[in-house]
Amino acid sequence: MKRIGKKRGKLEQQNAAYLLIAPSYLIYLFFVLIPVIWTIAMSFTDYNLSKAHFVGISNYIQLTKDPIFIKSVGNTLFYCLLAIVPAMLLGLALAMFLNQKLKGKGFLRTLFYLPNIFSMVAVSMAWLYLYDTTSGILNKVLKDLGMQAVPWISSASMAMISIAIMSIWSTTGYNMILFLSGLQGIPDYLYEAASIDGATAWEKFIHVTIPMLKPTTFFVFVMACINSFQVFGQVLIVTNGGPMNSTTTIAHQIYRNGFEYYKMGYASAQAVVLMVIIFAITLINMRFGGGDENDLG
Amino acid sequence: MTLADMGKKKKENLVKGISYAVLIIWVLITLVPIIFTVLTAFKTDPEISMASFKWLPESFGNIESFRQAFAMGDWFQYFKNSLFITAVTVVGSLIFNSMAGYAFARLKFKGREFLFMSVLLGMMVSPQSIIIPQYVMMRSAPLFGGNNILGQGGTGLLDTYGSLIVPFLAGAFGIFLCRQFYSTFPTSLDDAARIDGCGVIKTYFVIYLPLSKTILATLTILKSVATWNDFFYPLIMTQSEKMKTVQLGLQMFRGSSMTHYNYLMAATIITVIPMVIVYACAQKYFVQGIVSSGMKN
Repeated sequence: MKRIGKKRGKLEQQNAAYLLIAPSYLIYLFFVLIPVIWTIAMSFTDYNLSKAHFVGISNYIQLTKDPIFIKSVGNTLFYCLLAIVPAMLLGLALAMFLNQKLKGKGFLRTLFYLPNIFSMVAVSMAWLYLYDTTSGILNKVLKDLGMQAVPWISSASMAMISIAIMSIWSTTGYNMILFLSGLQGIPDYLYEAASIDGATAWEKFIHVTIPMLKPTTFFVFVMACINSFQVFGQVLIVTNGGPMNSTTTIAHQIYRNGFEYYKMGYASAQAVVLMVIIFAITLINMRFGGGDENDLG
Repeated sequence: MTLADMGKKKKENLVKGISYAVLIIWVLITLVPIIFTVLTAFKTDPEISMASFKWLPESFGNIESFRQAFAMGDWFQYFKNSLFITAVTVVGSLIFNSMAGYAFARLKFKGREFLFMSVLLGMMVSPQSIIIPQYVMMRSAPLFGGNNILGQGGTGLLDTYGSLIVPFLAGAFGIFLCRQFYSTFPTSLDDAARIDGCGVIKTYFVIYLPLSKTILATLTILKSVATWNDFFYPLIMTQSEKMKTVQLGLQMFRGSSMTHYNYLMAATIITVIPMVIVYACAQKYFVQGIVSSGMKN
């Protein structure tokens, strides 16, 4: 009797669980999982909003011959290189400083995170005015100092660097918060033990802080990669991919082909490339970071 | 005090000095774009077009830019749209995500690990790589927007609130955050509830939900900022002026304000103020949410 009751309780619990999960999982299924599969399927067609034919892998073959797409992959990698590492190093440095006994620590933390709550549109507007070649503040100041104007966003060689600087400005505070929580999780006795052994501050940093921060660092890196590879808003607003396609990114190409030229099959193939890159990078990071699901938290 | 001690003290002061210097530099870098945005909004057209640079506006009483910004865009409508979308998305996602988070954290059921891992996978999917099927799905939603039962003939859910709300009612981030939170609850809670004859669903509503204020506040804050700041979905899903959100309004305003950077900065400030207020009031929840999940949307 008792066992049957227990079994029924178990079944009841199971049904209740499915009921509780159903709304969110259905939304997730419909708007994330199915679209993932659908994108892959669509990448083998020439869908253009009215009709679709199966075209095999010809979209992918075309991708390898599309100089603008190849350029966009290079630009995306260049952007990631420029934006991720400095924002991480700065975030770590700020976190280290704020982890000491300093006056005004709480205020500084609040201030440093502030750029992160501004939308990318708002950030782009503020920086547009800083960067504008003729009427922008940066060049006006340079001119008053007797220096040459810099074509921040109007030259092909500078534009991506300028966009990356903007992104560093807005994401450093977020990295700082994550590093700060990582630092606070390092037990004091490790530092005390190192002190007893006569370690200098630098040695403590190398032998205690760095190894203990490894999970946090990998996590910050994974998140930064995921966010940076999909860079779009600032590109669309600040340069719209120009000058001479020097700032067009994979996400920008997807938008352009899909929603400006309505070549949705082709854009889907580009979307698959973006998905595969992000997926591969995350997996590689997890492998080397030795991370598991718990590291997300 | 020995000589060695004095050396150590000196070194400590040096480290402290460098820390302060770096912190002050980053404070300046953080503040400069924000301060210029504010200062510029109070400048007049002639002040803006002056060849040399002046820091301060002639007068902070000059609110002409704000007046112009308001006159040139239908901000009332944009704000109404953004507020409505944000409010509904936040409320819906609070309910759905916490229900699912509770089930994943507390209940045993077949396929729990598999379902949860599939949710985590969603964190890697960037919006740009699944936007095309999402657009097609919204366009061909049956019986909406002039569509027949097969989803043909009209515009479906495109250019409606639905397309901007429904996909965001649940998400990997919210489910994960809630699951982490409920995992820390003592299991004795469930036992006590069971002895009192509560089923698992009743346990959730009567015991867990009232104890969830922190997590719900955190989720509210992070989700509000993410929804309010979203640019990509409104850009793709809306067409008509009356459906535009604040972020789209700001982006369009850039086109109409042309060289009037003072108007543009005024408009930027208008769109950012609600989030600054939220941040000022509920700062600790931002930190808490980011630290416990590592994500911000």
